[in-house]
Amino acid sequence: MMEMLSYPFMQRAFIAGLMIAVLASVGGSFIVLRRYSLLSETLAHVSLVGVSVGLLFGMSPLWMAVVASLIASWLIEYLRSVHGMYSDSVLAIFLSGSLALAIVIVSMAGSFNASLFSYLFGSILSVSTQDLWVMGIFGSLAMALLLAFFKELYFIAFDEDVARAGGIRVTMLNFMLVSVIAVIIALSIRVVGTLLIGALMVIPPVAAIRFGMGFYSTTLLSIAIALISVVIGLSASYLFSLPSGAAIVLCLLCIFIVALVVNRR
Amino acid sequence: MKFSPSLFDVTNLNFERHGNLVLKGATFQILPGEYCAIIGPNGGGKTTLVRLLLGLEKSTSGSIRLFGTPQNRFRAWNRIGYVPQRSALVDSTFPATVREVVGMGRYAVRGILGFESDDDKAAIHEAMELMGVSDLSERLIGNLSGGQRQRVMIARALASKPDVLIVDEPNTGVDVESQHRFYELLRTLNRTKKMSILFITHDIGVIAEDITRVLFVNQTLLVSQNPAEVVRCDEMSRLYGTPAHVVCHNH
Repeated sequence: MMEMLSYPFMQRAFIAGLMIAVLASVGGSFIVLRRYSLLSETLAHVSLVGVSVGLLFGMSPLWMAVVASLIASWLIEYLRSVHGMYSDSVLAIFLSGSLALAIVIVSMAGSFNASLFSYLFGSILSVSTQDLWVMGIFGSLAMALLLAFFKELYFIAFDEDVARAGGIRVTMLNFMLVSVIAVIIALSIRVVGTLLIGALMVIPPVAAIRFGMGFYSTTLLSIAIALISVVIGLSASYLFSLPSGAAIVLCLLCIFIVALVVNRR
Repeated sequence: MKFSPSLFDVTNLNFERHGNLVLKGATFQILPGEYCAIIGPNGGGKTTLVRLLLGLEKSTSGSIRLFGTPQNRFRAWNRIGYVPQRSALVDSTFPATVREVVGMGRYAVRGILGFESDDDKAAIHEAMELMGVSDLSERLIGNLSGGQRQRVMIARALASKPDVLIVDEPNTGVDVESQHRFYELLRTLNRTKKMSILFITHDIGVIAEDITRVLFVNQTLLVSQNPAEVVRCDEMSRLYGTPAHVVCHNH
């Protein structure tokens, strides 16, 4: 089994997968606690618009995905916080709207359907060294922001009003959080695909919460669950020729079911 | 002579929401060491007034000075402890221990990237001891009773070592014994620690002996420095616009 690590494409797959596992589970902890889980799914669909535009006009799909999801994340947060619209309604509008837009763009030029397929379901085994650098640089930046404002984001998730009354810059941090989530999602679509990234962000924290611990322990457990799923999923993908993104998500689902059974309340 | 500024200095404060007047021409001061009750009918603007003081709502016009500083330049928010309405009603599955929740009270003091210092640990320990929740330290907040949660939320407010504590009808879902302990605690904080208290309540009879000032809020604001007068049934009936029966009791 260890022979798979002798292949450069598998080494890159593991590095990319482990990086995304840590980023997605930490970022996901905050959106789950804020009942904002659908944000990851929505931004993943929005990033598909960016990918489609990139493929249509011969630009980098990854960068276009980053741009599209960043703009959408700011618009979503603006409508939610400034106009007071319900989070789930705003997300539903963006989710279906962006999917419709992506479909129209794809139908305008049907020649890149094969490339688009890899962004829909992920293509971790074809991650290039350049992809790793992009993930490493922007992933480090995203993680640095999450860690720098970790306690403030936790306070806001627990009680936004009291956090604001305590002098924490809630509006600025809310925009920062959605921006970081947007970047994490755009980086992740190469690994697990737009249709599956939501699972990597949401399932680890939801499973970890079942164990009834404090926030710091829950976040660590969430990271561990994501890392284990990526390792098992990639190994299974190699050994049984399964699609890597789907294998990772199925591992996550298995761990979630175990967490449910072990912690019946 | 040492100059001691007002904690809150509010002048001609107006607030409209969606074109409806919620608060009109509120003018008052709260001085250090005061125990002030904010009373008034539901929807009269009590909570809005507190939210305006805390910067959670933007006033339509008027001015607010906090500790002598205009509100838009005020940064020492840790000097104000806040326990909001229904604070004891928390999500039962939220992953937060009692220690973590009380520790949130120190976040603004610690600043970005600030690790918990010995001062932070001491302040958290003192607040938990004062509220009698030290033995619950590692319990999840969602697993506590309403009264225990209320004590944790007050401990969080006290952890920042505030000069003034604002509590907004904190007894929703809390048993009678916990309510009694709560009133005793407010009295202790005010009398022995000289902490100023702003307390939104419908049950003014319980704290009638402790308060030094009453703000009656019903769109407009009336200030009385003679609480005993306000507590009289005829005065309460006049203010609320409905027959009121006030019972003063020692908890």
